[in-house]
Amino acid sequence: MIRIEDLTFTYPGAARPTLNHVSLEVEDGDFLAVIGNNGCGKSTLCKTLNGLIPHFISGDMTGRVLIDGEDTAAMDVGSLAKKVGYVYQDFENQIVRPTVLDDASFACMNYAMADYEERGGRALDACGLSQKKHDYIWQLSGGQKHLLALAGMLALSPKLLILDEPIAQLDPGHAREIYEVLKNLNENHGITVIVIEHHTEFIASYCKHTVLMKNGEILWKLPAKEALRRVDELEESNIFPPQITVAAKRLKEAGVLSPETKLPTTVAEGEQVFGKLLLRGDYRAAVRPSVRGTKKNVEFSGITVKYRAVKGDSYPIFNDFSLDIHKGEKIALIGSNGAGKTTLMKLMMGLIRPEAGDVRLDGRETADIAPEELSNRISLVYQNPEEMFIKDTIRGDIEFAMKMRKVKDYRQRTDELLGMFHLEKLADRDGRLLSGGQMRRASLAVGIALNPSILLLDEPTANLDIATRKEIIKTLNALKDVTETVMIATHDMQLVCDWAERIIVLSAGRVIADGDRDAIFSDSHVLNQVGIRPPEIFYMGSRLLSQARCYTIEEFTDLFERKGAS
Amino acid sequence: MSALSENILDKLSIDNIKTQVLKNAYGNDDTVIAGMDPRFLLAWYCFFGIVPWFLDNVALLLLLFVFVAVTTKLAKVAPLVLLLFCVGVFSQTGYLLLVALFFGGDASTVLPLLVMSLKVAVVSLASITVFSGLDPDKLASGLLWYGCPDQLSFSISFAYRILPILMEEFQNILLSYRMRGVAPEHKTFFGKIRYLGYQIKIIIQAFYPLMLNTAKRSRTTVEALELKGYRYAVQDKRVKRMKLQMLKAGKADYLFAGISVVWVLVSVCVSRIYF
Amino acid sequence: MNEKKKAAVTQSQKMMVFVLSMSLYGLATLFTELIPKFQVGVVEFSVEYFLFIPLTLSMLFDPISAALGAATGELVFSEIMLGQFGGLGELEKFLTVTIGVYLAGRMVKNPKNIKMVGLASITGVAVQQLMGCAVDILKVQLAVTDFESVAGLPESVFVTEGFACANDILFSGILFCMLPTMYLVPRLYGKIEPLLGMKPRNEFSVIGEAGVLSPKVVILSILGFGCAIGAELLAETGMSLIDWEADWAETPAAMAAGFALAALVALIAFGIIRRNAQLRMAEE
Repeated sequence: MIRIEDLTFTYPGAARPTLNHVSLEVEDGDFLAVIGNNGCGKSTLCKTLNGLIPHFISGDMTGRVLIDGEDTAAMDVGSLAKKVGYVYQDFENQIVRPTVLDDASFACMNYAMADYEERGGRALDACGLSQKKHDYIWQLSGGQKHLLALAGMLALSPKLLILDEPIAQLDPGHAREIYEVLKNLNENHGITVIVIEHHTEFIASYCKHTVLMKNGEILWKLPAKEALRRVDELEESNIFPPQITVAAKRLKEAGVLSPETKLPTTVAEGEQVFGKLLLRGDYRAAVRPSVRGTKKNVEFSGITVKYRAVKGDSYPIFNDFSLDIHKGEKIALIGSNGAGKTTLMKLMMGLIRPEAGDVRLDGRETADIAPEELSNRISLVYQNPEEMFIKDTIRGDIEFAMKMRKVKDYRQRTDELLGMFHLEKLADRDGRLLSGGQMRRASLAVGIALNPSILLLDEPTANLDIATRKEIIKTLNALKDVTETVMIATHDMQLVCDWAERIIVLSAGRVIADGDRDAIFSDSHVLNQVGIRPPEIFYMGSRLLSQARCYTIEEFTDLFERKGAS
Repeated sequence: MSALSENILDKLSIDNIKTQVLKNAYGNDDTVIAGMDPRFLLAWYCFFGIVPWFLDNVALLLLLFVFVAVTTKLAKVAPLVLLLFCVGVFSQTGYLLLVALFFGGDASTVLPLLVMSLKVAVVSLASITVFSGLDPDKLASGLLWYGCPDQLSFSISFAYRILPILMEEFQNILLSYRMRGVAPEHKTFFGKIRYLGYQIKIIIQAFYPLMLNTAKRSRTTVEALELKGYRYAVQDKRVKRMKLQMLKAGKADYLFAGISVVWVLVSVCVSRIYF
Repeated sequence: MNEKKKAAVTQSQKMMVFVLSMSLYGLATLFTELIPKFQVGVVEFSVEYFLFIPLTLSMLFDPISAALGAATGELVFSEIMLGQFGGLGELEKFLTVTIGVYLAGRMVKNPKNIKMVGLASITGVAVQQLMGCAVDILKVQLAVTDFESVAGLPESVFVTEGFACANDILFSGILFCMLPTMYLVPRLYGKIEPLLGMKPRNEFSVIGEAGVLSPKVVILSILGFGCAIGAELLAETGMSLIDWEADWAETPAAMAAGFALAALVALIAFGIIRRNAQLRMAEE
């Protein structure tokens, strides 16, 4: 249905073409993943399919794009939109109407379809939002907003749907929900789906084909599982294959698995492959010494915080909430959206005042501490780094707080921080115009500029591709010695496993679990309640051996008896 | 004076304003007024928004004032909007009154100014009833029915969509300033003035990041509008007809119109007879 | 084909600038509506408006989209959302803001030229304020019956309005429009354009060959100002010319007549607007 013939596209003013002699065919009913490192032209390629290129975005284009045999250059965006739906990565900005049903049927109304409301309603049903029809947009969670953006496109009953990184901003529970919806659309409604994706576990479970792009060119298009087995090629492009696949490859190289084994890509396949292997008799799960501080650093006692609802009564986020945080702890705060993670951090910073109860910092009530002193000791890094940048250069932002506080050698300290986060070359650039990972690093530098004894990070790895995420996790590990007490609110279980020493699970404003990673991840009751999933490799390990605790690929491969050794 | 220089960020905190504006926009969509046909309300507004300017009878104006006060109450308008209304009426005529007295005015100045205050009050309350009381989308379709450009009615709906996002972002940027900046000491009188100045300066500076962040957003928004056929809709008269089809007048609308007419007529008679 | 392509591109860019200007200035007017004013004697210190936002955008992008966006933003966010809508009178502010911002945007050929940016922004404010002031004086003159005979009123109106205008230009104009614009324009230039997928403005783009103040611009501005006065007067005084002579207007009959007439005029105006709209639709 889609044929791209020798397509080259250059943005105005760009030195090199973003797409370079691309040719591709996609059949009806395919579920295709497009992968590739940042800036390889994935999004640009997708925008040529819905006609935004060349009709709406200017630039030099040669070659042809055919949808159902028709040249997109000869069609207008309107008639293409009825065939091709597009969901942006920043989907929130794609929703333009104040209520749910209204937004879902907006496109149909604009194209003068008389049954626009029914169409919108049907699209909402297909996306599982029928309960929310009359809600306002701001009442939806992030995952629901994404489904709404999808429904808005689906209402036109397109034959092709394109989604740009659909799950980058979602917690794991919602991510699965989105893919289940897509799977249903693909299998039962005959819609062709193209996703730009770098979560390879999702590709393994849901996609039929995969295209790898590099520097504006398509390297290959293969059946999805086969593509994921090309571990070396993927890693070269900064794509991380499923942990199970990598583990199997290592075992193959070590001679544990036979050379002709097909590498598994999902847990189910993994069970078949690894199930045949001999487990080590002397396996003992590595125990990380429990690090619990003794000196109380922050104490919450009897906190009640209410959310001022737009309509009706205000409802409590926290009700008589108490928690102690000790000096030197490295805490991960997990729980689904709206559980109160961000509120908890803002309480510590004194940005939200509780209606009842008090927050004490080293025994003193935070209400009695001047905001300037408080921010010398506690620092909060927002989820959205753009909101951390208030100056027009990175250097300006890092030195801002020190300058305001007349720190003597602030220039020297700024240089140190720039060096520490590898930002020297970017020092004079505007923070907002950097790539995701650079932005994140810069926001961390801003956060620790005043050398706080407590650092609070809200979702430091959200919206990053996996390569950048790994890099940030590395940085956070390096930061462990710099700041005494660190608390991270996150959905990223890999980060939790790699980094956290104490894990606090919040649900509806209550602490439902508090312990180290072994305690949390083996408590399936807690995991189900808040909808979190341990890393796939951990899950794989526990399927093979119930007491196994594998957080890394190395720990997993360690489960098995080596042939040479035995 | 000290009350004024009490800081803007705390007392009129962004959070507070956000809640109030959102409450006003979305929180009263189940009132009598919100359920009405926007065409009736807009016509009603045209009467109560224009006619009082022609009246000079204090009693009649007072009676009309009572009526629009009741409709405002029915619309369950947010307190902030009412506060603004009071400040507005005072500043429009109250200060004129003072200055007129300063230039040697006497009692004869007071009556015309009282009449004027009443005029302003009636007209403002009528506008609050209609524009704050109506659900934004209904208002937009109502305006469309009366031939307002489609761009305006789209802008109204879009504004209600984007406002919570913008407010949130603005609030976070201001919090960044608060966390990292150092506010000037504000115990003394001059300190307070300096503090006020500092806060205004921050609000202005906050627009630099806000402009760039919003620019990033609006690109996606405009592309999505194109995909969703907004440009086609503006040119297509069928779409307009479809949008207007959902406007339906019901019993409540006729009842409201009837009550309004009766009240006005009675008011005119009463003011004729007793004054 | 090629021509059509180009037109579509500029259309989308205009839309982006419009959306940007509308949301940002709308948000700002929400706050200026709420920031307290205070008075020292007759001098009022108020943050009249954050006009620097549309001024900045009009100097960096397409001036008319930025100007219209700002005027719409104010109308929608602060007038309609907060219920402060003043009827037809809002048209005056809409038009004066549009004209002021548009002129300022056209004056700047090179956004890097700080002096020009400063001059243009203060000119834009002055144009807007002077037009507003003229309308205000006319307004009070016609709204208060017996304007001339009320002791002290004419002088007080001229003095306060004149003062308010000068005060707004010099205080708000410099502090809240000129200085922030001079701060923002050079900082945003070259940074914000790529985010919208555009090339930074240069001497040849946007303004075109017609020069800064082409006759067309001047005539359109004057026409717009005329409309603004008309709209404002219509809104504020309407047919109050009837009760211009106090004695005559006091009689109940005349009162009732004036009243009925006013209502009738409102209804007729309404009918006409409605009819026109229907006709336009029927034509399709």
